[in-house]
Order: sequence, then C-alpha cells, then structure tokens
Amino acid sequence: MHRHQNIRDNLISKYSSLVDDEKKFANFINLPLKQSFRVNTLKEEKEIVLDKLKEYDPKIKTTEWNDNAHISELDNLGSSLEHFVGHIYIQELTSMIPPLVVKDLMKNISIIDCCAAPGSKTTQMAAMMENKGHIIANDARHVRLKSLRGNLDRLGVTNTSVTLRDFKSFPNTKADLYFVDAPCSSEGTIRKKNSVARNWREKDYIRFNKLQKGLLGKACEMAPSGSTVVYSTCTFSPDENEKVVSDILNKHDMKMKKINIKNLKSEPGITKWNNETYNSEVEKCMRVWPHHNDTDAFFIARMEKC
Amino acid sequence: MLKPLLKEKKHLIQDYCIERFGMDSEIWNNYKWYSGSKNKIYIANTLDIERIVPESKGICIFRLDKSPKPTTNFLQLFGKYVSKNFLEINNEDTIKYCKGEDLILENSNSIIPGFILITNKNRALGCGHWNGKLLKNQLPKSKFCKINFL
Repeated sequence: MHRHQNIRDNLISKYSSLVDDEKKFANFINLPLKQSFRVNTLKEEKEIVLDKLKEYDPKIKTTEWNDNAHISELDNLGSSLEHFVGHIYIQELTSMIPPLVVKDLMKNISIIDCCAAPGSKTTQMAAMMENKGHIIANDARHVRLKSLRGNLDRLGVTNTSVTLRDFKSFPNTKADLYFVDAPCSSEGTIRKKNSVARNWREKDYIRFNKLQKGLLGKACEMAPSGSTVVYSTCTFSPDENEKVVSDILNKHDMKMKKINIKNLKSEPGITKWNNETYNSEVEKCMRVWPHHNDTDAFFIARMEKC
Repeated sequence: MLKPLLKEKKHLIQDYCIERFGMDSEIWNNYKWYSGSKNKIYIANTLDIERIVPESKGICIFRLDKSPKPTTNFLQLFGKYVSKNFLEINNEDTIKYCKGEDLILENSNSIIPGFILITNKNRALGCGHWNGKLLKNQLPKSKFCKINFL
C-alpha cells in the first residue's frame, strides 16, 4: 500500500508541470473510478437495455460527450443478465474515445485493429458500423485471443476476422483505417488498477517507446494514401505519446488531423518534455486528464497518409 | 483453418432453422458460410484477407455432427427470429440455467423434443435440449456464471 501511494505521488510530481490544475489532478488520481459500460446496439436497442438496467441501478447516468457511455453506481454489472446475453459491454470511458474520433469514417470500411485483445474497441467499431464493412482484429499473444473471441461471440460481431501475428511482421494489407491502441505503461489507469502501481518501472518507458514506434511505424508504412491511422495509449508519459508521434511524423509521410469530441474536456499534445522538443504538429493530438472528465487518462492521435 | 462450406450442408442447416425454429431464410442473405475444425460451422460477412490465414471469422453458429446443433451464440444473436420451439423460463430457473444446471419444467406441451431457445423476458439466453421431461443445459462451460441482476 505504501509503495502504491509512493508511485501515485511520483506520478503527481512528475506530471504536475503538464496539467492545468495540480491540486485537482492529485485529488482525482487518488479517487476510485465508477463502473462504466456501453450498450451493444448489435443485439438490442439502447433505450430498452437502459430501462432494464435502471431497475437494478436507478442512478445510471449517460455522459455528456458520448450518448452511449454510461456510468453505474454498481460495481458488478458483469453479473447482470444483460451482460450475459451480450446487451452491454463493460468498458472504461476513455477506452471508448478512439472509435469516436473517427466516427465520420464509420461506414462500410475496412479496418485493421493492430493490438485488438480483449476487443473493447473492435466490438465498439463493429457496433458503430452495424456489423458492415470488415475488421481485422489482430493480437500478438495467443493467450489474449481467448478473451477477444469470447467478446466477439458474446456481442454477436460477424464482420471481424481474428489474426494472431506480431503486427511488426504483419503482411502488407490495405485498409481504410488502422488502429494502433498500443501496449503502454498504463499509468493512466492507476485509478482503476492497482497492478499498474505494482508493476510500474521507470525503465518501461524506453521499452514501450521502442515497441510503440515499431507498431505505429508499421501501420504508417502499410497504409495507402488517404487512409487514416489512429494511435492511442492510456498513459501520461510523453515518451510513449507525443515523442512516438513526433518521431513517426519526422520519418513517414503522414499529416496530423485535429480531434474534437463535443463536450469532452481535453488538452492538446505537448511539444516539449525533458529538454526535448517535438514536431509542432503533435499539438493536434488529444490528451485527456483524469480530473477533466472524471475518467482515466488517455492520449490519441489521428493521422492521414499523404 | 476455415473453408467455404459445401452448399448441401448450408442448405441442411437453413432447412433445419426454418423447420425447427420457424426462421425466415432471408436472414442469411448477407453472410458467407465456413466450416472449421470439429464440424463447426461459422458465418461471417468479412472479406478474404490476402497472405494471412485468420484464426477465426465471424461467429460459430452450429455444430454439424450426426444432426445440426445450434450454438448459444447463434441463438442469442438470431433469437429474435425464432417463432417456435422456444421456452420462456422464470427468474429462478434463469439463474440456474446461467450456472449451467439442467431444469425440470412443466407446461411445455407445445415444445417438440430437440434443441430449443431459452428466453427470459424477451431476452434470448441460449440453447437447451428438451426431451419432454428434462431441459438439458447446452451452455458451454466458459459461459457459466452467477447472475445477480435480472
């Protein structure tokens, strides 16, 4: 417990210069998160499911920035019949953001989700596309495919193929949209997961930065002209966020696209950290801090291949 | 590895669904059919990927051993199209069903023995096998769970 608090304190002091309100940031990072979920519209209408769920928890709220992101006072909606039959998916609010930043594209398109397990964003995109188009849900680890497949089955996703590959050696495949929700130090989920505090190591930044650049670089390399690449992580660390995007912009023919989600408070990407200056275009990235919307932390970049 | 399903097998399953569950054959219009290992049948509306063999495509809907056996995934997704051989169970039995227990039921005269859809308040729960006396649970073990809210 002592170590967990130390790590929280370290994170607060480390990133205090980046946030707009240090006190609020410190306060929120120590608060637990409520359970959040979305309705799986592939199987049932949102209003019908919400009406039923409100019988268990009349205090269920919908966020102002996503009409299918809901918060419950209960912490065990996973044991509801709605979860069993695939009418809901329990998902962190911030994890629902990446598909929303490409809402304009979500029609009959092809998508490669490079690091898909356990399938939160894959199933969300499948629902947004009404099971049309085509998604390749890839993951590098066999052990993670079980949860991915289980979620695709439970939610009734039929437009998805599951592949097992290290994405860095994935055969060149054309798609309209590449999703790189990269493995990261997960600092931003510290409100929910004690394991983050337990497993946190300073040297992870270097390891993850290398891995993230490899994954995003591969997606940018195989993306055809005009296609979109979305990069996201759930960490505060600029080394895993802006630095990765900046290096990619300097090497690949990509242009940044501005992101805006109505009613979601966020901040632009930072351009300086630890005596390093990044490509100024990274300002177009989106940073979500825990105290802004009472969520985890998240980072997203949307790019287009020139 | 998934292979395109033979036409005869596809028609066998479609005919079974029409006869057993009163389903409309048009619900299959947008899907490709595949066969996988252990006589499993999959449907998907995906494209074929070049140069990579996927681990799976779409969802597994049937097992085709001696006779067709619908999966719980199939009945949960297409349950709304079932017009016969479905059985509504009460909350107490729903909790037992989700735990993986078999059920002894009364008032099931209209049900012809065989695979059936189990429902609770219009929610398609999954597959069961009715022999006229006992409802044999057909949930896969991976789906067994304790339900606290229903």
